[in-house]
Amino acid sequence: MSDAERRVERGGPYVGSPIIMATVRVVMPFVFTFGLFVMFHGADSSGGGFQGGVIVGTVVLMLGIAFGIEATRDWIGPRLPVALVGIGVLAFLFTGIGSVLLGAGFLEYAVYGDLGIPHPSKYGIEFVELAIGVIVAGIVTGLFFAIAAGTTGGESA
Amino acid sequence: MIDLLATRGYFLVAFLLMGVGTYMLIGSPNLIKKVIGMNVFQTGIFLFFITSAFVEGGSPPLLSAPPPYVSPLPHVLILTAIVVGVSLTAVALGLIVRIYDEYGSLRESEIREVAADE
Amino acid sequence: MSSLPALLVAAPLLGSVLALLAGLIRSNTGWPVALVTAAVQVVGAGVLAMRAFDSTVSYVVGGFTAPFGIELVVDGLSATIALLVAVVSLAVLAYSRAAGPRTNAFYAVYLLLVAGLTGMSITGDVFNMYVFLEITGLAAYALVASGEGGRSARAALKYLIVGTIGASLFLLGIGYAFIATGTLNMADLSTQLAAVGHTEPLVQAAFALLVVGLFVKVAVFPLHAWQPDAYAGSPDSVSALISALVSTVAAYALIRIVFTVFTVEFLQANPAARSLLVAGAVVSIVFGSVLAVSQTEIKRMLAYSSVSQFGLVVGAIAVANETALIGATIHLVGHAVMKGGLFLTAGLIATATGARTVDDYEGLIQRHPLGAGVFGLLALSMVGVPPAVGFVGKWYIALGAVEASSWPLAVVILLSTLLTLAYFARILERMFFRDASPHSSAIRTAPDGGVAVDGVSIGMIGVVVAAALAAVVLGTLAFEYGQLLEPTVQALLS
Repeated sequence: MSDAERRVERGGPYVGSPIIMATVRVVMPFVFTFGLFVMFHGADSSGGGFQGGVIVGTVVLMLGIAFGIEATRDWIGPRLPVALVGIGVLAFLFTGIGSVLLGAGFLEYAVYGDLGIPHPSKYGIEFVELAIGVIVAGIVTGLFFAIAAGTTGGESA
Repeated sequence: MIDLLATRGYFLVAFLLMGVGTYMLIGSPNLIKKVIGMNVFQTGIFLFFITSAFVEGGSPPLLSAPPPYVSPLPHVLILTAIVVGVSLTAVALGLIVRIYDEYGSLRESEIREVAADE
Repeated sequence: MSSLPALLVAAPLLGSVLALLAGLIRSNTGWPVALVTAAVQVVGAGVLAMRAFDSTVSYVVGGFTAPFGIELVVDGLSATIALLVAVVSLAVLAYSRAAGPRTNAFYAVYLLLVAGLTGMSITGDVFNMYVFLEITGLAAYALVASGEGGRSARAALKYLIVGTIGASLFLLGIGYAFIATGTLNMADLSTQLAAVGHTEPLVQAAFALLVVGLFVKVAVFPLHAWQPDAYAGSPDSVSALISALVSTVAAYALIRIVFTVFTVEFLQANPAARSLLVAGAVVSIVFGSVLAVSQTEIKRMLAYSSVSQFGLVVGAIAVANETALIGATIHLVGHAVMKGGLFLTAGLIATATGARTVDDYEGLIQRHPLGAGVFGLLALSMVGVPPAVGFVGKWYIALGAVEASSWPLAVVILLSTLLTLAYFARILERMFFRDASPHSSAIRTAPDGGVAVDGVSIGMIGVVVAAALAAVVLGTLAFEYGQLLEPTVQALLS
């Protein structure tokens, strides 16, 4: 029996407070929306991929603290954080490699205008910021579960 | 002296933070406090960078605000550096969890004793 | 293809993510992905090197023009280092198939390290160099921690904390340079710093911070304390990779910062700057060797040997003339091959016979003749026996020091050969001239910080023999290579 399960059985620090559970249940969608808002608004005001990604990752952390870390980890599954990180990095890399395939330099957004996308620089940067947000959210949740598990944490960043 | 504090006060505070961070790194026996000290040290550096970007009477670097703007380049540099710092802290904490599992203690002197026995 | 520099960094990143995602589907798929990526990387680095030795390749990322965007600049020196990174990572991959950790996460971090090292060697922008320095550092900390047991975790934590302080000092130096000039592009910085004035305290402070930050990463005495623990506590393939590449690319970064950003004029205007470099070099050479002599564990001894050898390179930077810089480059490449080969051989011997300390190596020539022979050959080339590459590098550096009339440095460089012989002679004598004692031949303990494995594979033996042969062959090719490098070095020094 792992440390975390023992803690949950003892009625440890993360489960059982009705106030936290009710608050998180109400607040969570708004925090998620705020995270997305911050992600989209990086170019025009404060925000961007990193900040928005951390806020979105915080949603899962809040769920873990309110409803029990083991239960949340079982719900998220062992593969989702890694898959999110992978998809995010691939999206970023293919945005860069795509512009090379279209004939211009690496990560040269302007060439996407030839495909018919209006304002290619602006939307290119937005897309990359979203990809970064996905990566950061995946990493924050994955790290939280890895460190909370105890013995399995610490192998790779 | 007061003149120095008035005009360069922010830089002095940044270096004070760096000093505090270094002292925590060296002086605390607890591993987690060392990592916190590393974070404070890096925060001092970030503060130094950002205060250097400030322009008297400048507005935030947004297109909707009037010029002159506060220089946005150090802001972006520090964003990257903050993310680097967060990753380092995450790796350090993961390593500390593993060290705790292996040696049973978070104090540097006790870990050294246990390690010398093995 | 004209986007080759950017793609050279993007390819190992892509490989790293694919290795990570492949791990979700099936385990033990990391090695094939890493092999394909490393092979592509070698081809790409080779093509880039051929282009770079013709004329310096300059590439702006994303089409944003030079002082505002990030520029990648590849001259002969950068291309050499990028090619070295690619080849050594492929070689250690061949070794680690049987020996090293086999998890997908390990190979994902391995490829991330390759991406970081390549990026650091081809960038022309100081902040980009900081970012890649940190990527390299993070990957290195994670790789050191991939061994089993608490020793790897402790070594990795020590490496992390000391390395972070070094990188933070580097960042602070970038901050000072940015405040002085307003630009981050290396070529632009050199003209702007000259305009601000090389004797301004701001510029001097920037130089000091950048150089000390890189001293931590190169492991110059007394900032080297992380290196013995990190090299000894990590698995064998990781020790070889990190010892061959990470400090080498950090030393390349030091050359780049001192000569491209702060030019030779800065060193001439500030004798204190030159003294800093000379002091670091002399102290590293002497104390690195002295500390190496007293070690009992082989890998720790090789780590202190690295401290001493990089002291030679820092000394060459301090001398700052053409011969010395050619010698520094040859020594960087040669040391990477020799030190990587030594660590791989030590790992091979440990896997085959369980020998990990100097006393265990008694009579090794009878128990494991191949391992003992290769170790002896690499040790002798490290000491500086002609025609191996260790001799050529030291010869050029010593010649440069004599040309520049810096006599203390020249004497210490010549002394370093004797000091290197001092610590390698103990092992050579034990291996070749003593009989295996009953204590040493009965050793079969599970290696510390490594993965206990059933046996020695052909890949392991092949790579080790190839490293030994390369050390000798590179020595014979080194004079031609020096001539090939001359235009690059002249451009660096002008």
